[in-house]
Amino acid sequence: MSSRKLIEFGIPPILAYTILLLCFVGLSGYIDSKTEFAEYLYILIALGLLTKLASKKRNEFLKSCFSKDDYTKLRLLENLIIILPFALLLIYQKSIVLTSILVALATILAFSNFNTTLNFTIPTPFYKKPFEFTVGFRNTFFIFPLAYLLTYISIYVGNFNLGVFSLLLVFLVALSYYSKLEHEYYIWSFNVSPKDFLKEKIKTGLLYSTLSSVPILIALSIFFDSELETLLTFLLLGFAYLITIILAKYSVYPNEMSIPQGVLIAISLMFPPMLIGVIPYFYIRSNERLNTILQ
Amino acid sequence: MITIEKLSKYYGNKQVLKNIEISFEKGQVYGIVGENGSGKTTMFRCISGLENYDGQINSDFKILKNHLGFLMTEPFFFSKITGTEYLRLLGNSRGKKLTNIEENNIFNLPLNQYASTYSTGMKKKLALTAILQQGNDCFILDEPFNGVDIQSNIIIAEIIHKLKGLGKTVLISSHIFSTLAETCDEIHLLKDGELIKSVQKEDFTKLETEMKDFTIGNRIDKLNIT
Repeated sequence: MSSRKLIEFGIPPILAYTILLLCFVGLSGYIDSKTEFAEYLYILIALGLLTKLASKKRNEFLKSCFSKDDYTKLRLLENLIIILPFALLLIYQKSIVLTSILVALATILAFSNFNTTLNFTIPTPFYKKPFEFTVGFRNTFFIFPLAYLLTYISIYVGNFNLGVFSLLLVFLVALSYYSKLEHEYYIWSFNVSPKDFLKEKIKTGLLYSTLSSVPILIALSIFFDSELETLLTFLLLGFAYLITIILAKYSVYPNEMSIPQGVLIAISLMFPPMLIGVIPYFYIRSNERLNTILQ
Repeated sequence: MITIEKLSKYYGNKQVLKNIEISFEKGQVYGIVGENGSGKTTMFRCISGLENYDGQINSDFKILKNHLGFLMTEPFFFSKITGTEYLRLLGNSRGKKLTNIEENNIFNLPLNQYASTYSTGMKKKLALTAILQQGNDCFILDEPFNGVDIQSNIIIAEIIHKLKGLGKTVLISSHIFSTLAETCDEIHLLKDGELIKSVQKEDFTKLETEMKDFTIGNRIDKLNIT
């Protein structure tokens, strides 16, 4: 499925997986250098990925396609593939006990099914203005305590960079809420101009991302008061990227994000001043695209 | 009032709507009938502005869609949004801050549950509740009775009567002729994208008989059921 998506996006899967691997190595090196709890973080991330494969609906479909033996082999194999990079990393760091725990958990999860359509509704603080943050929070609620925990660790060990990382993690999650295209009905239904539609989307995004990052911002500004300027710079960058992603999404609607768009965003990530040009460009394109649905 | 002139729609080379000429008055309920693929949903999508088309669609409103409640055949719901949040979202989209959501829950839907877990009928009832709360002037109800229980069908029929009384324009498509006969003032028959017949209330029985004869013909006899 991922390979198919990458091909649709115009990226050779082999290239994407190589880049992903390099990013993984680079990011793990960075996390290692910043915190002593990196190993636990790897296990949490690996478990998060494994639970995605353990959804009841998905596995019932697999069971209907394969025999019991093949199904078991397949589930074990895919779980082991998922944890392989994390396990190799842990072995490299000589954390044999944690590696064994990870392998054991992956094996147990291969025989488990999680019902993703839970009978209870996950409460969300973002219920007043659906839908991006409302739905997104329910899908990624576990990230927030993790980010707040990282903030606590950063204060505990006196590592400001780790604190900034936790802030960026919250914004990264918020950006992911805008990555999926909504059904045209949820745009068509609005009785506003494209300009007001975008204004409202951006306003809600900024308000809710601020609300999610407030605990981190307060804690870091108290304990790293000399770094307040840096903190505000990262906050403003977070806002700017959020606006960019919202506009980028509607600038090609109803299509998925294109390669040139992805390149523009990637360059902006490396060179933030680019945003001065990129944001107005996406804004104009979004207005044009939305005009056909809203007017 | 909505006036449609020479409405045509192509999907590639295939013409799915052919020069439709029709008008819809305020305070009237119109039924659109036709076989699957006859162009009913496409016509609704053109009226709502969700499709490009050839021809003219004019109304008393500057932008018709801003006064239109559209109940789709299969309403789409996000995976983790509750009934209440869906109603709030659709209310917000029209600038309405809904305060009495629970009171207006006439279908007794479990509004605190995720809408995507609802049954087909419940989804339809939720989507209908949402467009009713938007305060629209015109309504397009594409198969409103499909998958809905008998009690709710009665309620929906009553809602349509109420909308008519309030001077709203209502367009309904349905395969259940008896419900259309009960609720509509006029029924239009679409066939292969063409509007082939328009019938007033007094001739509904005649239309039903004609449709039955035309549809069934001698098909059943061909089965040789013994």
